[in-house]
Amino acid sequence: MITPGSPPQRRAVLWTCAAFAGGVLLHADRLPPWAVAVALALLTWRALTAGHTRAVPLPVRALLAALLAAVVLLRFRTWNGLTAGSTLLMLMAALKLTELRSARDLLVIVAAATFLLLSACLDRQDLPRVPLYALQAWLCCATLAVISASAMRARTALALAARSLLYALPLALALFLFFPRLQGAFWAIPRGGAALTGLSDSMTPGGIGELIAQYDIAFRVSFPAAVPPPQERYWRGPVLHLFDGRTWRVAPTVAAVAAPAAPDREATPYPQHIVEEPSERRWAFALDTPVRSAGTQLTTDSQLLATAPLTAATAFDVLSYTRVRSARPPSPLERRIDMSLPADANPRSRALALALRQHAADDSAFALALLEYFRRGGFQYTLTPGTLGMDSVDDFLFRSREGFCGHYASAFAALLRAAGVPARVVTGYLGGEWNPVGRFFVVRQSDAHAWVEAWLPARGWTRFDPTAAVEPERLRRGVLDLLPQGLSVSERLWRRSPWLLHLLQRWEAANAWWTDRVVRYDYASQLDLLARLGVRSPDVAWLGWAVAAGLALWLGALAWWLGREPRPLRASALPRAYRRLCRKLAARGVARQDTEGPLAYAARLAAQQPVLAAGGGAQLLQRYAQLRYGPPGTRHAQEVGDFARAVARLP
Amino acid sequence: MSGAATYGPPEAIARALAALTSVILGKPAQVRLCLACLLARGHLLIEDVPGVGKTTLAHALAQILGLQWQRVQFTSDLLPADIIGVSVFDRARQQFDFRRGPLFTQLLLADEVNRASPRTQSALLEAMEERQVSVDGHSWPLPQPFFVVATQNPHEQLGTFALPESQLDRFLMRVTLGYPDAAHERELLRGGERRELLAALPPALSAGDVLEAQQAVRQVHVSDPLLDYVQALIAASRAGTNTGPGLSPRAGQGLIRAAQAASYLAGRAAVLPEDVQQVLPAVAAHRLESREQTGAPGAGNDAVRLLQAVPVPV
Repeated sequence: MITPGSPPQRRAVLWTCAAFAGGVLLHADRLPPWAVAVALALLTWRALTAGHTRAVPLPVRALLAALLAAVVLLRFRTWNGLTAGSTLLMLMAALKLTELRSARDLLVIVAAATFLLLSACLDRQDLPRVPLYALQAWLCCATLAVISASAMRARTALALAARSLLYALPLALALFLFFPRLQGAFWAIPRGGAALTGLSDSMTPGGIGELIAQYDIAFRVSFPAAVPPPQERYWRGPVLHLFDGRTWRVAPTVAAVAAPAAPDREATPYPQHIVEEPSERRWAFALDTPVRSAGTQLTTDSQLLATAPLTAATAFDVLSYTRVRSARPPSPLERRIDMSLPADANPRSRALALALRQHAADDSAFALALLEYFRRGGFQYTLTPGTLGMDSVDDFLFRSREGFCGHYASAFAALLRAAGVPARVVTGYLGGEWNPVGRFFVVRQSDAHAWVEAWLPARGWTRFDPTAAVEPERLRRGVLDLLPQGLSVSERLWRRSPWLLHLLQRWEAANAWWTDRVVRYDYASQLDLLARLGVRSPDVAWLGWAVAAGLALWLGALAWWLGREPRPLRASALPRAYRRLCRKLAARGVARQDTEGPLAYAARLAAQQPVLAAGGGAQLLQRYAQLRYGPPGTRHAQEVGDFARAVARLP
Repeated sequence: MSGAATYGPPEAIARALAALTSVILGKPAQVRLCLACLLARGHLLIEDVPGVGKTTLAHALAQILGLQWQRVQFTSDLLPADIIGVSVFDRARQQFDFRRGPLFTQLLLADEVNRASPRTQSALLEAMEERQVSVDGHSWPLPQPFFVVATQNPHEQLGTFALPESQLDRFLMRVTLGYPDAAHERELLRGGERRELLAALPPALSAGDVLEAQQAVRQVHVSDPLLDYVQALIAASRAGTNTGPGLSPRAGQGLIRAAQAASYLAGRAAVLPEDVQQVLPAVAAHRLESREQTGAPGAGNDAVRLLQAVPVPV
């Protein structure tokens, strides 16, 4: 048992170090490197001096604690929040390693390691990390076992911990399924929040290129009804209005609730269920053009905005129509923004636009003429274009003539504006990969795309995709299919082998299931489940009491099960093991005589084969004598099992 | 959970054992058996030719166990009253007064018990069994503990009354000493009279210690597998070849008690087959061989045959 006063055993200290190291490593890629380094350094020092744990003098400890706390405060400006809090906890627990006076101090550190596990769970809940979390929980439990009985063998401790965790599993499941969820409150902890990968609120012609090299998933879409054809799979994102001759940016004024666009008559409705990966931004991507979605705002330029930055996987149900009629013409202010060009930039393209416009009957014909220009202009679709100068449009149209979606969209919109047609760049994604296992589309960062919308008086905002004019295949296939040099070697391998691709799809389907069913399991899902079980509209208190009663039942059953009489041992187990031992010893030249008791046999063995006797033979015979003729203890069955295994191990 | 773990007997018992072996040279096994017999609350019969140290052994036992003891030399004219005591009329108080005989002691050394008449023998043996004496309608309890250590001389046929089977059964063990080996004989020859040494020997135990040890012996664990073995031995003795009725249930009980004591002396908390094997010849020999004229030193072959015939159940 734990005696609070006794100094901790070396083994217990080492186990504790391991458990704490596990907690630190779970955070290693998220917390500041210097903090992780400090924690690991203290851990290493403690592991090396685990045998003699004299406490570091109090002034030193106090100074270090104050120093580290101050550094955390300076770095994060707070001690609250997930990142700052985890950093502080990790550092203070690491400092605790310098004052190990008793087993109780070890318990404190294991508790801290468990808290680090908890904060890691709050931080990230993706499927690949689940085994890591489980391993860490296992390690922490086994460490508790070793701390309480430092002579316990590693295997015994791990087995004990695994068994305890298994006993707890039904409990955890019941709590997960039925314990009333606090809606949103608990983990709305402020996050450190570096922006994650994904589209940004501005676009330079080459900017999207970096994104295209990333294979990460942006979102998943499933269509309960009709599935849009490939050439309509434009996923609408941020709309860029401001152009400085090189960079396109979002306009700050457009983020207002708007009346949705009206669908064309006989247009197909596309209801979608979209699960977005965390992006730290408010943008919700949806099939172009979204008209309705619960829980989001629709901007005047038809972009969906979530109510808060997406810090976790979030699902939206969206209704889109691929053909819509704009609700209203742009206001004079919007018109001015969408026609503005920097005064003296890109003079050659301005001239080109005006010349083409003169030959065209109207704006619509002009836009088509522009598309034709791109189709025939000798442009090359590539992911590795040269760099462009300050007048990026001129440079692109008349010099390099190579690029990808960003370049074409930027130039196309600039040309439209030069001829007096309101135009804007829409960023988002194009395409997506069908996952037959999970029956959803996966849209990756590599599917990032940019296209143009022009205001045509007859049809409202109309989509033009100059990239498709240059490279029509882009509509049907991903960028990386067209330009495989953008892929890393391993990704090329994924795509080369159908078997691997299928594996990847299965994995992503499993991930999707995990996100939908586990990570996003909330109060509404609980009510759903209860309704399916026949409980309609329960109140939270009732649910709480029901769960408490269930817990009490389970714990009672467990206590009864663990406290019951040990199962009667099969009477033959011990003799069988003994006969096996005798056979083994006989094979080594000392056979038991019929009338010989175990100790007499052991004595003869020691006389005739001292090495064999000392190598465990004599000890096993003594253990047999004890088990066979001694008073049976409470752990008799287990000891017989141990004996049988020890016999089996004897060579 | 210290079933067979060796932890050693209590220190005082170990000292007693050491003291005994220092007096009775070269006979550690017999000395151990004698002590085991007494700790198992049994009476002891020492049988051997004259001059091998029977009396010295009995004397040493009494001395080292720290018991109050009496010695009675049995002769053919010894009367029961000579050992039990007599009722004498006290004229002053006008009533009979019981004068206790030498039997009222903690350890009675009955020398050459087979020389007494059967009547005297049975008086003694009844007292051994009952641990009390009835005279003139009164019961007088014997002291605690109470041991009889009897010696007999097998070769002296003239003027002896052999103990009948029923009486022999009252002795838990019969121990034979045998001649010492050459080295110890030389030491004996050089060392002079052992009995003088005895007088100088301090007692290693007290009567209370002995009672306590007897209690502890009762606590030594006897497992079912061991009972299987003992039953197999008893059954084999009854099915046996030429030796009469075999071991009685009382003999079986005695065997287990003796084995418990042997296990206790070996410092174990549970009886092992080895303990049974150690005490069986001493416990069984005089019961199995009583039909024949009791043999020479080294008798007990029937018991040894029994041990060789019955396997230890696995």
